[in-house]
Amino acid sequence: MRQLIRNAAKTAALGVAAVLTLSSPQVLAEGWPEDNIRLVVPYSAGGTTDLLSRKVADLLQKELDTVIVENRPGAGSTVATAQLARGGRGSDHTLVMASPGHTIGAAIYPNLRYNPIEDFRFIRNVINIPNVMVVPGNSPYNTVAEFVEAAKQEELSFSSPGIGSSIHMSGELFKNLTGAKMVHVPFRGSGEALPALLSGDVDVAFENMPTVYPHIQSGKLKALAVTTATPSEFLPGVPTIQEAGAEYGLGDYETSAWFGLIAHKSFPEEGVTKLQEALDKIMAGEDFNNFLPQFGAEAGKVVGDDFRNFVAEELTKWAEVAEKANLKR
Amino acid sequence: MENFSEVLALFLSVDNFLAIAAGVLVGVVVGAIPGLTATMAVALALPFTFSMEPVTAILLLVGIYKGGMYGGSITAILIRTPGSPAAACTLLDGYPLAQQGKAKKALKTALYSSCVADMISNIALIFFAAYLAKIALNFGPPEYFWLICFSLTIIVSVSGDSVIKGLIAAGLGIIVSTVGLDAVYGTQRLTFDSYNLMDRVSFIPLLIGLFAIPEVIEFYTSKVLPHIRTAVSGASLTWKEFKGCLKSVVRGSIIGVIIGAIPGTGATSAAFISYSEAKRNSPRKANFGKGEIEGVAAAEAGNNGVAGATLIPLLSLGIPGDVITAIILGAFMIHGLTPGPVLFQENLTLVYALFCGILVSSVVLLVVGNAAIRYFSLIADIPKSILLPIVLMFCVYGAYAVNNNTFDIGLMLIFGVLGFIFNRTGVAAAPFLIGFILGPMFEDNLRRTLLISKGDPSIFFRGPIAWVFITLTVASLLFAIRRYWLSRQEASAA
Repeated sequence: MRQLIRNAAKTAALGVAAVLTLSSPQVLAEGWPEDNIRLVVPYSAGGTTDLLSRKVADLLQKELDTVIVENRPGAGSTVATAQLARGGRGSDHTLVMASPGHTIGAAIYPNLRYNPIEDFRFIRNVINIPNVMVVPGNSPYNTVAEFVEAAKQEELSFSSPGIGSSIHMSGELFKNLTGAKMVHVPFRGSGEALPALLSGDVDVAFENMPTVYPHIQSGKLKALAVTTATPSEFLPGVPTIQEAGAEYGLGDYETSAWFGLIAHKSFPEEGVTKLQEALDKIMAGEDFNNFLPQFGAEAGKVVGDDFRNFVAEELTKWAEVAEKANLKR
Repeated sequence: MENFSEVLALFLSVDNFLAIAAGVLVGVVVGAIPGLTATMAVALALPFTFSMEPVTAILLLVGIYKGGMYGGSITAILIRTPGSPAAACTLLDGYPLAQQGKAKKALKTALYSSCVADMISNIALIFFAAYLAKIALNFGPPEYFWLICFSLTIIVSVSGDSVIKGLIAAGLGIIVSTVGLDAVYGTQRLTFDSYNLMDRVSFIPLLIGLFAIPEVIEFYTSKVLPHIRTAVSGASLTWKEFKGCLKSVVRGSIIGVIIGAIPGTGATSAAFISYSEAKRNSPRKANFGKGEIEGVAAAEAGNNGVAGATLIPLLSLGIPGDVITAIILGAFMIHGLTPGPVLFQENLTLVYALFCGILVSSVVLLVVGNAAIRYFSLIADIPKSILLPIVLMFCVYGAYAVNNNTFDIGLMLIFGVLGFIFNRTGVAAAPFLIGFILGPMFEDNLRRTLLISKGDPSIFFRGPIAWVFITLTVASLLFAIRRYWLSRQEASAA
């Protein structure tokens, strides 16, 4: 048995060596990158952002140089973002995987020491995950309209994995636009929030697609609508909130969990171009497109300035929602 | 079962065995290093599994999880530094044993209890998953509330000599746990406008500070060098001794299984509940906290009992009970599998191949653990004047590594001083820790319950699960009061 362990250790070492060899730069052109690229994940290891970032890093380093993933969680992603905004040594090779936390954080945290738009270079939106408006399988509501009508009569509850998450804010936005009576019940993580929804303790949630998809399939949850502007190919026949709730003021409703790379404002132009080219190539590739469906995700659409404008619009939207929900601290 | 040969064909590959062995080994080593948690190791290992077969990938991650669960106890016993939060309970009796020169005995007790609990947990996963998953789904905020109430009563049994001091420590723990953003309204509480405090006080720095740092301070403040021979040659565990603990191990495993099957409660609570139950039922009550192997056994059985059971809500419902299972869920999804009822319908062969691997992992844990004890217990032979600076270095590194944040080092040192004051004033640190862990759960679930019921308190008594925990809470309190009263009577009679 000891032999087995020794062999295992040897194999593991060989495996690591092999992986490192495989993942070493295959294209080493002149100029940027002159150093390893650092991809900072503003959340703890293991979350969706972390998982997506590690996959993107894995693909990116096949195109460019070694990409090192680093987790810097804290204060809803604002700790890592503030550090990026400060710049300094190494900032010409540092990226942050930005997500709704970038704009929601800016909308709800006080005395932010950076400007969430001006201080950054926006490289590309890489992945979008729709949220789904779901109710328990035995819920009396079958459409968005039925739900809103009921929520105008009596107060209904919506769950989220925590205050300031895109899931929470999607609910607050819904509440704002429709004027429905809804109370937010925060949990710590989707793992805790989901059972309360499945058992009917809460009435509705605007959860990320991958979290609820299996339960929609098994009939334990009913999908009333998706939060994106276009229907999702994963949920055929399920309308968008825009379509289903147009008469209740939801005509402009749109939210999603988006993920994209941002860098310090002084990030070299050459780096931006090379990253965008590399990402274009990756996102057209088979590996990336096989990966997306596992998360009910879609490839990100906006690049460069369009991405920046998108984030700026998001910021305005969430600032307004945070204001109305009394979340500005 | 007609597909059994398919299951074996899927499971019996060299890769799977290597993945389990490598996973458990990495888990034990990482788990033993303070600040490097099994969670981190699982997250870091995840990208390596992208290209593996699904069964191999998941077994590697499960191996790390199980190894990490045990590994945490090694440094808890040897240097009073819990390698993982769940091992905090193990040091209550493990470290005193090491001080008495019985490190090997303590380590072996921890290992054997872990393996037995692991096995029981696996069996529960395989045979009772459907039933336990149903309980987990019926566990709403009011049921959690009562479970936490019951868990809070264990403060009494880990308070050491003085219940009053224990309650003070628990109160302090609860106060520290309120730092951060309010869960419902998002208002800042005791953050002093510091970003570093908005996400609450970090757990790992607190843990390391509270237990490891006081040892370092004690060493440098005491004039006489405590010469401790914790030789590797120290007596090992006899079968008779382990047999004496077996009842507590089985009880702890069952507690671990139940807690593990309920998402979001965690191995640390399971370890403390198991420890407290063992103490309550033991004829050697008075020896608990002073180096009782049954205490080590109960704590380790409690936290390892959780390991297999957390896979119950994951596999049968697709609900991750903690961060590690959330990562494992990610691994499933990357391989195109969605845990939940559908998995059992569409990929039954794969599920059973996984079960085989999980069973094997408990045996591998025994082998790897034994090897680890041989090398790790050498630590106990290092003179303290050399060991403690190294421990201090690891503490600093561990506190930093969790969030890559230097603020956490300062935090750790502050809790180190607090732990030292606790030591000198005879206040037990364990109730502080329990207050810190359970305080927020108590508050969250109380508020969630009332939000859901729109303020109607009758929801607290809504079903049989709630009543079970109400009864347990009341019984546990009455028992504690009776014991307190009896000890007072004894004291006045003497």
